[in-house]
Amino acid sequence: MRKSLLMAALLLTVLIVPTITPVFAQEPIEIPVWIAFADENRLGWTQEVAAEFNEMHPEYNVVVTGYANYEELFAATTLAAEQGELPAIVQYFEVATQPARDSGYFKSIAEALGDRTEILGEEVNLDDFIGVVSGYYTLDDQFTSMPWNTSSAIMFSNMNYLTAAGVETIPATWGEMAAACEAIMALAEAPEYCFTWPNHGWFFEQWLAQQNGLYANNGNGREDRATEVVFNGPEGVAILEWLDEMVAAGYLYYSGAQGGDSWATVDQSFQAQQVAMAIYSSSDTRTYTDVGRENGFEVVASFLPYNEEAGYTGNLIGGASLWLTNTLTPEEEDGALGFLLYLTNTENMAVWASEITGYIAIRQSSNDLLTEQGFFEAEPNFTVAAQQLAQSELTPATAGALLGPFPAVRAVVTAAIDRVLLTDDDAQTVLDEAAAEANLLIEEYNLLYAE
Amino acid sequence: MVISPVLILFLSALFGALILGELTGRTGGAKARIVGAGVGAVAAIFGALLFMAPLNFCTFESDRKPIDLAFGLFLIAAGIALTLWIAAWISGKVLRGESLFALAQPTQGTFKGRIMPFLFLAPTLIILLLFLYYPSIDTLRLSTLLARFGAPRTAFVCVDNFTRLIDPGTRTSIQFIHSVRVTLLMSGAIVVIGLSLSLLIATIAYLPLKGASVYRTLLIWPYAISPAVAGILFLLMFNPTGGVINYFVGQVVGTTIGWTNDPNVAPWTVIIASVWKSMGFNILFYIAGLQNVPKDLIEAGAIDGANVIQRFFRIVLPQLSPITFFLVITNTTYAFFETFGTIIYLTPGGGPLQSTSTMMYEIYELGVLSNQDLGKSAAQSLVLFAMVIALTVFQFRSTGRRVSYGA
Repeated sequence: MRKSLLMAALLLTVLIVPTITPVFAQEPIEIPVWIAFADENRLGWTQEVAAEFNEMHPEYNVVVTGYANYEELFAATTLAAEQGELPAIVQYFEVATQPARDSGYFKSIAEALGDRTEILGEEVNLDDFIGVVSGYYTLDDQFTSMPWNTSSAIMFSNMNYLTAAGVETIPATWGEMAAACEAIMALAEAPEYCFTWPNHGWFFEQWLAQQNGLYANNGNGREDRATEVVFNGPEGVAILEWLDEMVAAGYLYYSGAQGGDSWATVDQSFQAQQVAMAIYSSSDTRTYTDVGRENGFEVVASFLPYNEEAGYTGNLIGGASLWLTNTLTPEEEDGALGFLLYLTNTENMAVWASEITGYIAIRQSSNDLLTEQGFFEAEPNFTVAAQQLAQSELTPATAGALLGPFPAVRAVVTAAIDRVLLTDDDAQTVLDEAAAEANLLIEEYNLLYAE
Repeated sequence: MVISPVLILFLSALFGALILGELTGRTGGAKARIVGAGVGAVAAIFGALLFMAPLNFCTFESDRKPIDLAFGLFLIAAGIALTLWIAAWISGKVLRGESLFALAQPTQGTFKGRIMPFLFLAPTLIILLLFLYYPSIDTLRLSTLLARFGAPRTAFVCVDNFTRLIDPGTRTSIQFIHSVRVTLLMSGAIVVIGLSLSLLIATIAYLPLKGASVYRTLLIWPYAISPAVAGILFLLMFNPTGGVINYFVGQVVGTTIGWTNDPNVAPWTVIIASVWKSMGFNILFYIAGLQNVPKDLIEAGAIDGANVIQRFFRIVLPQLSPITFFLVITNTTYAFFETFGTIIYLTPGGGPLQSTSTMMYEIYELGVLSNQDLGKSAAQSLVLFAMVIALTVFQFRSTGRRVSYGA
């Protein structure tokens, strides 16, 4: 009898105590942040920044959770939304901008900020972001999501080969690529191929933007919801024809891998010195530069070669941005905004772009800081992507397309490139068929999302 | 063309009555014929409604294409065939005076009550219900929709997700038929090569050698590696430029092979990786099987003058037939459903010219990887499901009879 009384008392305490405690001890407000990085480097750094923020603002507790990739994070976010348990901040990659907008989970940063010039002591200075970067994430004239990891498509050259072949300046155009490749492949100790690139939809988009070619209608989907793709114009055909020529000449190496997992084959052939040049993302500038240093060859980064016949307009960005969810209380929202501003402040973005990754410093002030510190002088490869974006003219083409089913359309484009390179099919025909297939995807997406 | 649902149901009932009436009439006489006809009519109506009630007879609406109509008729026929088969089975039992539920003679260990057995079965049944049957039925529902993961609404598309797969001349159907071919060819190669090689290695590993148990343990390792990891490993090994395989091939032969960028070779690269991956599992079973081959049989064969090869093909192989049969079925299932994990990483994007794009890979690509199109991928997975069922039934019917389970 006594024993059961004791048990009942214990049970009561267990039940009541947790409900009382918050009244006495002020629990910090939790700010869950979900990002698509699971590596120690990027996730670890972000968690460190969050810890610093929590120390500065004890009333908040920012918790950063890493997911393996964007797709998994997207799935987790959708499930969380259905259960009414959205986190405060979610990272979406650039081509998921339209789906993020359509999901109805998010609130624009500009709207959340209002007229405030500082939040929790963090300065609001959105004009400090580089033009093409804020341009990509400015929707309906509103600064919508917070840019974070931003890269551009660039080229890495193994200078041992270029110097031996007497190529003094790194090729900047498609025509110069052919000339340089001819010299490199004529070497006695020539590599197996002159250059390679990952067959990822992003590069097609880059070359299209360079020629000021639109990807989708309605101003690349920025004036109004895109209803069809227009990438099968002369600019798009020129890209496929050029790649096909380079493969036919034996200059360009195509590993057969398409999409998100095609990067590894490029890394491997460049590292094994089987190719002289690799077209790649600036995100891995650190790795590529170090690989050369460790293996006894100098690696120099340069702009993505462009079609000299069409002229150069600009490049678009790649990477991801951070989105603010719209179900937060005012206190939670301020905490989330404060963390976003702190994470992307001048110093943090400078560290992110120099020590942690090869992503570009998205703030002008971060670039100034790194220049002042002499970082760019010591590591000139890290200036290339930022310079390329700085020299880009901001047009609807270089702002980048917004498409609902963008990842699926990318798969259609890479399959089209694969077909042109491996068969005798005509580039125009293949691209027209790809466009028709993409239009069907867009039509079905819009059926479910468009008002 | 519009066909009234009432007409369809009437014709179905008529058909069912005729068939079942005839069947029961043959064994049970005139009275049974009338009852059988009644049961047959009801069963056939249920059969027609099996698919058509949830679809609301949409394939027979005026704006549908002829191919939709044909598919609708096929679904009705399939439904009727199923319900009539069940009705015929039950009425056959009733006519012969057998009990419907007592399938086997009750033995000592059976439960007396009706609730107890179900109580013990409940944990399994609940898990099956929640994680297998409910999702399967939901797949049927999804397959009639235009639906995306996370989309605010869905649209009913009748049987479009199925008919566009077989509508001749369209890009979708060309792709689909291509993927069916790729699936069958690759699965066939994986099963045949995988099993022959595993049996060979198992036979060698079964030889009384010093440290044989160590070899046997090592041989099973690949099975423990996930398909995705195997895919990445093989991609970096088989990368035509920079990969280690071509380095050695180049040293020995002087020329290299387009392992991942030649559409004629890429399927073989996937086959090699998949065979390697499943080999540990097969070897394990074959070694176990070899241990069960009676020694006296082999000795008797040897005394009668059969040489090693004759003994292997005439005695050992037939004795292993139950194991082989089991492995053929598990390996087919593996080749159909699991190789996509290897394909994603070994030939990302479905291989050069989609040469390694199997049905399961297409479904994954469509429903998960890039498009999140739940409707179309549900429809395609149902087609794949039907194919595997048909294949397994065929295997049981054709090969299963020749399997010897010993005395």
